[in-house]
Amino acid sequence: MAYKVEMRHITKIFGTLYANDDVTLQVKQGEIHALLGENGAGKSTLMSVLFGLYHPEQGDILIDGQPVVIKNPNDANRLGIGMVHQHFKLVDTFTVLDNIILGVEDTKNGIIQYDQAIKKLEHLIQTYKLHVDLKAYIKDITVGQQQRVEILKMLYRDADILIFDEPTAVLTPQEIHELMNIMRGFAKEGKTILLITHKLNEIKAVADICTVLRRGKKIGTVSVKDTSIETLAEMMVGREVSFSVDKPEINQGETIFKVEHLNVSGQGRHSVKDVSFEVHRGEILGIAGIDGNGQTELIHALTGLKPILSGQVSLMGSDITHLPIRKKYEIGMSHIPEDRQKHGVVMDFDLQSNLILQNYYQPQFQKHSFLKFDIIQDHANELINRFDIRSERGAKTIVRQMSGGNQQKAILGREISRNHELLIAVQPTRGLDVGAIEYIHSQLIAERNQQKAILLISLELEEIMNLSDRILVMYEGEIVGELDPKKTTVNELGLYMSGAKRGDVHA
Amino acid sequence: MDILYLLIQNAYPTMTVLLIVALGGLLTERSGVTNIALEGIMIFGAFLGVWAIHGLEIYPFTVMTIIVMILVSLVWVISIALLIHFGLSKLGLKEFSLKRLNFKNPENKGYIAINIIFVIIFTGLIVLSFFVFGIPKQLILIIGIMIGGMVGALYAMIHAYASIHMKADQVISATALNLFAPAFAIFTARFIQRGQQIPFSSSFMIQKVPLLGDIPVIGDLFFSRVFISFYIALALLVILWIIVYKSKFGLRLRACGENPHAADSLGINIYKLRFKAVVLSGLFAGMGGVIFVISTSTEFNVTVAGFGFLAIAVLIFGNWRPRGILMAAIFFGFTKTLASSYTALPVLYDLGFQREYYELIPYIATLIILAFFSKNSQAPKALGQIYDQGKR
Amino acid sequence: MHEKKINMKDVIKNVGKVIYRGLKRAFIVMKPSLVAIGLGLLIGLIIMIIFDAGDAFPALGTLLIGGFNGGLRGIGNTLYQAAPIILTGLAVAFAFRTGLFNIGASGQMMMGAYVAIHIGVRYSLPGTLHWIVAFLAGMLAGAIWGLIPGLLKALSNVNEVVSSIMMNYIAGNLLIILIMRYVFNSSYSRSLNILRTAELPLLTSVFPGSTANIGIFIAIIVVVIAHIILHKTTLGFGLRASGFSMPGSKYAGMNTKANIITAMTLSGSFAGMAGAIAFLVVGKNIGTAFEIFPQGFDGISVALLGLGEPIGALFAGLFLANIRMGAFYMQRYSFVPQIIDMIIAVIVYVTAISSALQIVFKRYREQIKSWSKRIFKKKEGQ
Repeated sequence: MAYKVEMRHITKIFGTLYANDDVTLQVKQGEIHALLGENGAGKSTLMSVLFGLYHPEQGDILIDGQPVVIKNPNDANRLGIGMVHQHFKLVDTFTVLDNIILGVEDTKNGIIQYDQAIKKLEHLIQTYKLHVDLKAYIKDITVGQQQRVEILKMLYRDADILIFDEPTAVLTPQEIHELMNIMRGFAKEGKTILLITHKLNEIKAVADICTVLRRGKKIGTVSVKDTSIETLAEMMVGREVSFSVDKPEINQGETIFKVEHLNVSGQGRHSVKDVSFEVHRGEILGIAGIDGNGQTELIHALTGLKPILSGQVSLMGSDITHLPIRKKYEIGMSHIPEDRQKHGVVMDFDLQSNLILQNYYQPQFQKHSFLKFDIIQDHANELINRFDIRSERGAKTIVRQMSGGNQQKAILGREISRNHELLIAVQPTRGLDVGAIEYIHSQLIAERNQQKAILLISLELEEIMNLSDRILVMYEGEIVGELDPKKTTVNELGLYMSGAKRGDVHA
Repeated sequence: MDILYLLIQNAYPTMTVLLIVALGGLLTERSGVTNIALEGIMIFGAFLGVWAIHGLEIYPFTVMTIIVMILVSLVWVISIALLIHFGLSKLGLKEFSLKRLNFKNPENKGYIAINIIFVIIFTGLIVLSFFVFGIPKQLILIIGIMIGGMVGALYAMIHAYASIHMKADQVISATALNLFAPAFAIFTARFIQRGQQIPFSSSFMIQKVPLLGDIPVIGDLFFSRVFISFYIALALLVILWIIVYKSKFGLRLRACGENPHAADSLGINIYKLRFKAVVLSGLFAGMGGVIFVISTSTEFNVTVAGFGFLAIAVLIFGNWRPRGILMAAIFFGFTKTLASSYTALPVLYDLGFQREYYELIPYIATLIILAFFSKNSQAPKALGQIYDQGKR
Repeated sequence: MHEKKINMKDVIKNVGKVIYRGLKRAFIVMKPSLVAIGLGLLIGLIIMIIFDAGDAFPALGTLLIGGFNGGLRGIGNTLYQAAPIILTGLAVAFAFRTGLFNIGASGQMMMGAYVAIHIGVRYSLPGTLHWIVAFLAGMLAGAIWGLIPGLLKALSNVNEVVSSIMMNYIAGNLLIILIMRYVFNSSYSRSLNILRTAELPLLTSVFPGSTANIGIFIAIIVVVIAHIILHKTTLGFGLRASGFSMPGSKYAGMNTKANIITAMTLSGSFAGMAGAIAFLVVGKNIGTAFEIFPQGFDGISVALLGLGEPIGALFAGLFLANIRMGAFYMQRYSFVPQIIDMIIAVIVYVTAISSALQIVFKRYREQIKSWSKRIFKKKEGQ
């Protein structure tokens, strides 16, 4: 029996990097086929080739046994291939309807006709229970709804090969459950599903077959129900992986960071409403929540990137609510930002300049406003050694040319080595491979053991559960629950995160 | 009261030029490409457009002029032929469907041949009638505007290619166009005719539109002492509004300007679309250049008084929307005219301020208004960013 | 104990190596500009050949020799012309580095020129003091004229391109009003001559017959100062960070609003100096017909050719002034001096796409490298 999708000996090169190195993928019809691999393993690249966004240097593709050439997404659409991207490709200022029909508009004399489209979409919405308001603007709907729009985009184009690229990063556990039901429904109807993910339990829950990629090469293809999570992890990483984190019991110190009745403006559910909590020395306070429930606004307000409407923030006993950002650093705050390339570094500066980004004006690095370049370089080399930051030309490397993992290590090293008592870490391990993740986790635990206070925001529930001493859940801008990681479960967290449950918060 | 009408009528030329050029700017900026080369494109289009007008006014016609006449007539006849086909096929007469003009289908050869013969005959007739009857004044102007537009579109391709396909900094390639146009105009003009000014003799102002100009109030406001470009501009405004907000091209254009990655993932060719947008802006700017010269002076003298830049201000002021652009163009039109017409208003004349004070008003007012309104800027999100497929 | 013998041959070899390496690096950095200049001249040559083949090559020669055509007088005038555009180029480049496009250098120069003339005509101060005060006043005027768009951008997010354009026009009209009010020479419709004492010291002893003044030295000094500020000080660090990444510099605690304002003010002051240098010469006057000084736009070309660096602006400004002077002398042939503006336009255009061209070349080079690597791998039977 012919495969529905066959990609043979695909090689895709970017510059000198082999994103895909002689990868062969075979998918049967009606299968839910998972593509497993770390960040940078080549899964997204392979699917982008299938979707026509990239052209492979070598290899060919067969659909239903027929060789095909896919030069662009239009070709892919014509072959029935659709893709829900990890970073949604939606136009914020357009309506849901416009986003879906973009590229395949019905026209009469050049003017767009909406009637047919609306009819077809309403049918699809009813059939697959993908409820969303066609006339709403993308910027006004939730992330979960935006994902439904992406799915409708595929279905509208009559796709029967559906590619999902890391779809669960932005969903609550309950929404993930729903999505998996939807996927199973598609499979039962004979549609073929390709699921790109690095989440092992999700693969176990919904996939039939799994192909593992590592550093651009295919490691193997296995039947999911016959393979254990441990084996899958080993295939993905190449060595045995420990899933627990070594976190000893320690005595916590006094409160050094206090947030009281904080209100921050945002768009609807994005704002922060009357948030209060404390962080103690020697404690990792984790804040869990679905992306878009006010966490970004909270952190931006605490760190000074966004103004505060009302409330008070104090660090080490001083009121830092409206202080300029530089002062906050001086009093003892460190911040590993959510968007490392936008905020964390100046990409076109060299490494040594980035490592003094916040304190270049201090007397150790300048005299009469003239920078002391030799001291700056020594400082950089010290951090490079201490934190294993790898780069082509050492301290003089332009950060843009460094890998994401090393950029993050540089940011981490800078934030930890600077004088601070509070460390705010937002999504510190996003997009990193397992080795870097383990390293960063161990550094965070070490900070905690040295009686620093750590505020951790993460969308990865496992990370929150493993690292935190205490967990707060944010939903629609409010703190809706306080949980003990030793006593709660992922499911319970999920209920809080989706607003289904609220509890007492002592914070 | 008459003075008021006079002032309003005097404001129209400025308003017209700014409106047309800013609409062109709207297209490119909405697609994500900045275009500060509008000034240079205007000059380039004005140069060749006014030259064409100059040539068409002189009798007997030079060879150049004849070639231009043939070209222009061809464009008209072919456009009308296509329109006739389109219209007739819509009305149900399938024999005239556009498909029958498809070159690739060998069966159509006969039909195409017949069409070509008709085109040649009609073009010849038109050119002949020009020789025999002379060219009506307004038609000369329209031809001039067409030439200016076509030339502007071609010139803009240089900027489009650099900033879209070669991923150059859009500001830099635009600056190059601004530098080149006046130099080229002076160089060529001096070489061919020993002087850089290109005069034309006709006054193209329509003193009064027959019938419509006699209507009280409205007649004085809209149909007296106007140029035909005024109506062209308003027509373009409506057409552009429909295109940008209701058409397939417009939807895709806006998508390119807001989130090119999204558009790309849906199979839209960003490069082609942006290229078209920039070329169209060149068309508009070229037309605007010609219109500027004929409505504000009697000769082309290698300048468009900064209107290319003012059009950008109008675009930004108008918040990248057709309606806003109209408001901004009206505002500028009036405040600029005040400077040249204030002598007609005894109230202002008696104040004793010299002309330059009035000239300052539009610019200072723009600064003040921008200071208050820029916080709500609705610039297209991807404006000015070079689109590179590799960056995801 | 090792005895070190000082071998002259080795010393010379090492010094030679350092110089060679330095030149090589300079060449690599300057390559885009040199390619652009080469192509620009080539296209200019082609245009000239089309119009009058016979004179084309000698005309190009005259163009390149530039100011030297007129001997010392020509060189002197070249230096006089170069100083203002070096400074306006510096103004544009400096703003570029902070992520801002200062298209208002013309307006800033005009205000600087007027204020300098005003002090030069209406006040009487002892010798050296007079021109120093006039010069500094011009610099200040330019600074203020740059400050305004800076403030508007920092506090109200007004696009600096639009506001600078407005400032240019305001300056143009303001100049006419002020000249006619305070320093009017009604017989010639222009500003009055400045007093001798306000004139920048001339260099006529070195360049007889020209209007060369110490402006060129001032320009060089200012370029060096700008370079030091940009690359060696904490201020420059902050400005460059803002230019590369506004969000990044904000995260780092830098005062981005202050950076924008500082950059535009400094930029304006450089352009103001340009105005002062150009017009603190007895006999140089501003007319009362509306004008926006072209040196501001030359500044853009200079900044681009100079690759956004202060030192680059120095060399680019000298080059531009030289070939402009060459165009002047080229008039003895049948070519119109506007040919030079066209050449400059082409040079700017090629500069714009040259970085893309370089990337394209690099990509091809890397592709070939990786392909050859694969061939090697396959040969070794991996």
